[in-house]
Amino acid sequence: MAGLFTADVENRGLVLDPRTKLAVMITLVIFALGSTGSGITAVRWMTIVVSLLPMLLLVSARKYRKAAIFTAVYALMKASELLLVPKMTGPALSIIGMCCMIFVRLCPGLIMGSYMLSTTTVSEFIAAMHRMHVPQQITIPLSVMFRFFPTVLEEFSDINTAMKMRDIRLGGRNAGKFIEYRLVPLMVCSVNIGNELSAAALTRGLGTKVRRTNICRIGFHTADIAVLLLTAAPYILLILGMIGVVK
Amino acid sequence: MNTAAKIQQVDFRYANGDTGALEGLDLEIKCGECILLCGSSGCGKTTVTRLLNGLIPHYYEGELTGSVTVFDRDIRSTPIEDLAGTVGSVFQNPRSQFFCVDTTAEIAFGCENMGMPEEEILSRIDKTVKDMHIEKLLGRSIFNLSGGEKQKIACAGVSAMMPELIVLDEPTSNLDLDAIDELRDIISDWRSQGKTIVIAEHRLGWLKGLCDRIIFMENGRIVREYTGEEFFSLSTQALNDMGLRALHTDTNYLETTAGCSAIKPFNNKEVITLEDFCFSYGKQTALNIDRLELPSGGVIAVVGHNGAGKSTFTRCLCGLQKGFRGKVLIGGKKLRPRDMMKLSYMVMQDVNHQLFAETVTEEVLLGTESDDEKPALELLERLNIAEYKERHPMSLSGGQKQRTAIASALLAGKKLLVFDEPTSGLDFRSMECTAELLRSLENDVTVLIVTHDMELIDRCCTHVLHIENGNIT
Repeated sequence: MAGLFTADVENRGLVLDPRTKLAVMITLVIFALGSTGSGITAVRWMTIVVSLLPMLLLVSARKYRKAAIFTAVYALMKASELLLVPKMTGPALSIIGMCCMIFVRLCPGLIMGSYMLSTTTVSEFIAAMHRMHVPQQITIPLSVMFRFFPTVLEEFSDINTAMKMRDIRLGGRNAGKFIEYRLVPLMVCSVNIGNELSAAALTRGLGTKVRRTNICRIGFHTADIAVLLLTAAPYILLILGMIGVVK
Repeated sequence: MNTAAKIQQVDFRYANGDTGALEGLDLEIKCGECILLCGSSGCGKTTVTRLLNGLIPHYYEGELTGSVTVFDRDIRSTPIEDLAGTVGSVFQNPRSQFFCVDTTAEIAFGCENMGMPEEEILSRIDKTVKDMHIEKLLGRSIFNLSGGEKQKIACAGVSAMMPELIVLDEPTSNLDLDAIDELRDIISDWRSQGKTIVIAEHRLGWLKGLCDRIIFMENGRIVREYTGEEFFSLSTQALNDMGLRALHTDTNYLETTAGCSAIKPFNNKEVITLEDFCFSYGKQTALNIDRLELPSGGVIAVVGHNGAGKSTFTRCLCGLQKGFRGKVLIGGKKLRPRDMMKLSYMVMQDVNHQLFAETVTEEVLLGTESDDEKPALELLERLNIAEYKERHPMSLSGGQKQRTAIASALLAGKKLLVFDEPTSGLDFRSMECTAELLRSLENDVTVLIVTHDMELIDRCCTHVLHIENGNIT
């Protein structure tokens, strides 16, 4: 299931350190979304290269379909932004130009987010937070929350099946209550599961005052270093541009 | 022998309910004992397990008087997290006792919480995995495991923490017979290691030879204690009179020949014919049935080992399986999966998933075209839930919810009802009620029951459909 922090540990391809993923994410936000240094040609081109990194990472995680779709859409939008938009005028320019701009800026970050969530396990996440000295009071509630999502999704699909069999659908006789009908059982089931989950966690010592250890091995390897070097490139170019070495 | 736990004059009442309360309970558990708590639902056996692992009073709120000590520590003044290394717990629902997505991390979870050094945890995992022979399950994704495998990982997680006392609350509710056998081996290992074990259970047969002392409870009190020998030689009649399930049934329907065969006289000659019931997940064939005739109006038990294709079969039959292309012939009419979805209804194991409306009446009327309440009320009367017609379905008991779901399916004109393990975790009386209800549907609609419960089959089924390896031959 492609959910939050539910990496399929049996078939996940290349594994990166969660901190590497975070660094890529921050870089994408600064350069792709924030357009930092777009006045410098070298940074602009480098931003495109970094924006393509998430697709590459998706491939490395064996999520080929997702990667192909994202690459195609991104290439189309970027190409039209570069080639088509400058030739347009009037309303077409505002609409298409706006769409391209929003998409080209947001897309890499979104893909990176999807990659991060679908390839990191909860234990890796906790381990990374721990290494970055984030206090346990923040990581534990977060990890419980992440554990909870996939279960709720499972419940949701069961409820959907039941609704199909009862022929309750949008446009049916009870369309007005469609959302209510779906939410009531979902909430009842979620509360039950949440209660049981908390009880189980308590009996296994979650929340002791002792500092938690973690057997999950995270660390920087060759792939991480390569990715990090690439991520560092736009920053270096930005500084070089600011002091006037590159244009 | 030393005392592992001592419960003295305990009264307990849950803050938000009447069932499961305890009254003047006294129980002393010696180190190394294996104790079975039994009794009908709501007798308080789960409450006792919660006293031992500290969930009462630290998690479930209520009024508690009397004293509970576990290894000489007063349960009230010991924070529940600090009991983690001393008392281990295995619960009923494998879905809601996992924290990690991979099995190795899951086994390590408890040890990590206790702040053990990494090497220590790794060596403990190693030992646990060797002891339990679950090498194959390491490094797997939790979502790809069967119920039995999940329960084994839960046991491994408890084992790795090396607790002195282990409590299990209905651990077999979601398991098939093979998985139960494996759980039995695990518990028997724990026993030989000298651990103290307390099990609250409805299913009793598998515990023969495992439990030293059996405690029979009723309404929050201990009514009688038995030794293992005494208890496991009780007759089925005696057990049923106590509201307990039989230890074993005369017939094991898993030994019937594959295919559909009658086990009781049945007169209706009409049949429902299934054709091309083949389905595969990717390359893996899950179902491969060319032709099968089911008696129309029969109550048919669908049996088979885990992974035999029972749930794929029922999903296909109800038209729920995407990409399934088989067909069904009823009374000479050829029906496609889409039509089958209109004619059939599946009552899930967790009925909470399929109750949507605010009152029982509204719920039952939901799938119908008219607003006429009369037939709905008649139906509720017939299913003995008319008195609850104004209640919110979610406020009903499990059995009443099941009836509401059945009523809604019958009123919507469904001709085929499929039940997924309708009696898992039910005591004798509730099982008998369900059996009676299912039997009353005979001839009216065709009922398929996916179940491991031989007692239920004995009581209500007219036919047994045995599926193995997705096939009936």
